Amino acid sequence: MLEVRGVAKRFDPATALLDGIDLEVRRGEWVAIVGESGSGKSTLLNIIAGLDRPDRGEIALDARTLSFGDDDALALWRRRNVGFVFQAFHLLPYLTVAQNVELPLALNGVAAAERKPRAEAALAAVQLGGFGVRRPGTLSGGEMQRVAIARALVHAPALVLADEPTGNLDETNATGVLDCLRDAAQRANACALMVTHSRRAAAAADRVLVLAAGRLTPQP
Amino acid sequence: MNLALALMLARGAFAANRLRLALTIACIALGVALAAAVHTIHTSALAEIERAAHALAGRADLEVRGPRSGFDDEWFVKVAMRPEVLAASPIVEVEAAVAGGDQTLRVLGIDPLRAVRLQPAFVAGGGAANAADAGRLLDASSLWLTPSAAARLGARKGSRIKTIAGSSEVEWQVAGILEELAESGDLAVVDIAAAQQRLGRLGRISRIDVRLRPEANVSEAAQALRAMLPPGVVVAPPASIAGRAAAITRAYRVNLDALSLVALATGAFLVFSTLALQAARRRQEIALLRAMGVTRHGISILLGLEGALIGLAGAAIGLALGIFASRLVLRGVGADLGAGFFGGTSTVFAPDAAALALIALAGIGTAVSGALWVARAAARIEVAEALRDRAADLPVTRSRIGWIALAFALLGVPLILLPPIDGLPLGGYAGIAAWLAAAVIAVGPLCRVLLARLPEGTDAVGGIARAQVGHLPGHLAASVAGIVMSASLCVAMAIMVFSFRVSLEEWLNGVVGADLYVRSGAGGDSGYLAEDEVARLAALPQVRALEPLRYDRLALDPSGPPLSLVARPLTERMMRGFRATPAIAAPGDEVTIWISEAARDLQGWHPGERVKLPIAGRLVDAHVAGIIRDYARTWGAVLIAIDDYRRITGDSRVNDIAIHLAPGVRVQDAEQAVRAALPAARGLRFEDAAEIRRRSLEIFDRSFAVTYALEAIAILIGLAGVTSSFAALAWSRRREFGMLRFLGLRRRDILRLLALEGAATGGLGAAIGLATGIAISLVLVNVVNRQSFHWTLEVHWPVGALAALVAAIVALCAIGARVSGAMAVRDEAVLAVKDDA
Repeated sequence: MLEVRGVAKRFDPATALLDGIDLEVRRGEWVAIVGESGSGKSTLLNIIAGLDRPDRGEIALDARTLSFGDDDALALWRRRNVGFVFQAFHLLPYLTVAQNVELPLALNGVAAAERKPRAEAALAAVQLGGFGVRRPGTLSGGEMQRVAIARALVHAPALVLADEPTGNLDETNATGVLDCLRDAAQRANACALMVTHSRRAAAAADRVLVLAAGRLTPQP
Repeated sequence: MNLALALMLARGAFAANRLRLALTIACIALGVALAAAVHTIHTSALAEIERAAHALAGRADLEVRGPRSGFDDEWFVKVAMRPEVLAASPIVEVEAAVAGGDQTLRVLGIDPLRAVRLQPAFVAGGGAANAADAGRLLDASSLWLTPSAAARLGARKGSRIKTIAGSSEVEWQVAGILEELAESGDLAVVDIAAAQQRLGRLGRISRIDVRLRPEANVSEAAQALRAMLPPGVVVAPPASIAGRAAAITRAYRVNLDALSLVALATGAFLVFSTLALQAARRRQEIALLRAMGVTRHGISILLGLEGALIGLAGAAIGLALGIFASRLVLRGVGADLGAGFFGGTSTVFAPDAAALALIALAGIGTAVSGALWVARAAARIEVAEALRDRAADLPVTRSRIGWIALAFALLGVPLILLPPIDGLPLGGYAGIAAWLAAAVIAVGPLCRVLLARLPEGTDAVGGIARAQVGHLPGHLAASVAGIVMSASLCVAMAIMVFSFRVSLEEWLNGVVGADLYVRSGAGGDSGYLAEDEVARLAALPQVRALEPLRYDRLALDPSGPPLSLVARPLTERMMRGFRATPAIAAPGDEVTIWISEAARDLQGWHPGERVKLPIAGRLVDAHVAGIIRDYARTWGAVLIAIDDYRRITGDSRVNDIAIHLAPGVRVQDAEQAVRAALPAARGLRFEDAAEIRRRSLEIFDRSFAVTYALEAIAILIGLAGVTSSFAALAWSRRREFGMLRFLGLRRRDILRLLALEGAATGGLGAAIGLATGIAISLVLVNVVNRQSFHWTLEVHWPVGALAALVAAIVALCAIGARVSGAMAVRDEAVLAVKDDA
């Protein structure tokens, strides 16, 4: 389970961007956070990922609290426990699709012989079996995002974070990607947290929270 | 695309990349400055020689010149009595060793009453203000110095100077300074009779300056004089030394010019890299322009203009720098860039405007060519796609690159087989350029082949680095190409210079084989030992054997370099040392000579031929027995048995003596014995074989100092390209780095990633450069060097130095990439993952 307790962050003395955020996401649960641009959604995501330090509060994953003092330790923690899906996909253009998916496994020291079948399986799970030898530049937006989802889950992380995963997609592709993301997260039994400004995208989640004025509240 | 719009867009592009732009302009400027400085120093040196020669020649229409040992002074009367001759001035010219040091002084012995009719400045400073002054003009111990000679010797009017003549010292009193001959360089003027008597030139003169009657035809007069003069005495235009100096030094000057232009050409890759990065970043801007109706040609004009502006700025700054640097060098150090052709500080500054303009154009052309290469890629941008996405590279066309590279490689082969053109190895240079072009064009395919051979590692960061380099975006390929260019140059020169040094060292070990060498005076041609002095040395118990050596310089062609004559005993050991082929001549009565490779090439002589040598005023039939290797005399040498020489000339003097000591005798004891045997010999100089070899190799090393500097600058420019490329690449990959940070890479992992990519780039460039450099070195040794300087060298491989060079390139590229990318991996970079960051 992901636990966020009392997290606060302020970028200027007058305004608290995050003002005491509390959140729990269970394993296998998909939670969406919606909010206007500038409401602090990405900041919250960065703090949960250990890439930004809160002014106060703490983050815990499966009852282990993150220590924000050690950058290396946070990187290693992310490597093992977190998968990311970005709005702009962020696939490496000079790697094949399979190599992009294998990247988290390689970073975790998984041997090549084991990496390849796991990457193929991850691609098959997002309906991209056989795409392994292609380059990202030859894929459509929806296909690239599904590759990104495969990469985010190939190493069976405990936590999946998605930052506007459908921001660059048309409606049809967006629906397909969201379905893919949900299925993959459930199969992996990961805690899935998505931030988005689209209430339509958020509706695909199990639970929707609204971030406004630094506070997180359930969507009415 | 109109000019105003193009300038506006260019200004915008430059403003966004000020630092990189400044670096690019600086590298172009450096290349232009180098080429301009080297060329200006040499043209100034030649101008100085010409000015000095003309100042000395005065109103002479012709000069009659003999060998270094001079010719009979009776010919002066015969020349002066010619009907077409208005005035003639005999001159004795001796390069006199200055006692007590290593300096020499060029001494002209003149007849003041005759010389004044051709060059009044010879005697103007000497006075005639009163009768006492006039008398001093003919005083046997008086000597006049030009201002530069006085400054060098630290002398003024009234000072005493000693020179070596034979084995004795001769004292002179400085009677005055010849201010009017300030432009004539470093020399001393004495009375001709004093020069003949006191410098051992009795009955001999070196030159006759001739002024013709106004109605005389110069070429007919020259022809008439040639017909009457003895062999070995040539008739030439006055101040022909300037033309000879230009001819003698041409190959050396062209070689240095070529080197400095290679450094400039390396800058082209930096320009390409900078503009390619700019174009990649402006991909959407370029696509927008195309969508708005600008043609591909218009895009080419825009990018070409940007390249031209970079080139113009670089060329302007470079020219100014180069001219300033050359002035500094000429004033402070002189025109000698190491090879010893031009000595002393220079008072003449004579930039060649046409050559400098060409160098500036080369700088601009370098930048424009880099820009147009980018324009080709930019023109291939798919407009619709580029307007949609944010890919950060230009399209690359890979078809036919391999064939084009192969074509250049094959083209190089017939070029390097061409004979010299006008005495220059132009075919060799063109072949080298073709092979460099082939290597640069083939960078992409070669990198892919080399990377494919690398084993797959288990390190994820290493795998990402390998994939990124293998992907080889266009600007990275340009950086590799820049490294290839500069590394090839360094490798080729390192092998050539090392081969030369080892060959020279082995040759010195062969020809410098005696235990002790004795000469009178440190240099010049005024010192010698007489026959009786040699006999006294031969009789010493410390001496097992001695070999006398006598040198002269023969004038065969008035416009060409002189031919050295070396007379010595031709022992089997010595002939082996000279690598004589064949080593021994067939017995016979005729005079047998061996000629050096330079003499073979320059004079067109061959073994088995009979040639006529002008020795001692007559033509001597000589049989060319074979070829020797001679690194000491650049313009050709003839080796003759000293017995034959003495029989022909009657000259029993000796310049050097090579002494083989009796067993158990120490060199220091032998020196003492020699001094005791010749108590009156004040200017004796002793050197053992090790000292001679060491000194020779020191001179050799010094002569390549400028070459090493040029190579280092070429490498620096190549490294600047890599660093610049990586800085931009890292910045454009901030989002990628942010994503990798999200995936769990630490900051230092990303810096290691950059270092690995830098090392891979450097390694690829160094590997390709190493292979190309080896091929080019073989051309340098066997074609360029042989056609320029006529020397045979064996190829030797400086394995340690090459390994160190490759390691240094790899390390510097790794460090440069890591340092230049450090900005891109700061914390804030993580936020670049956001789409709207």
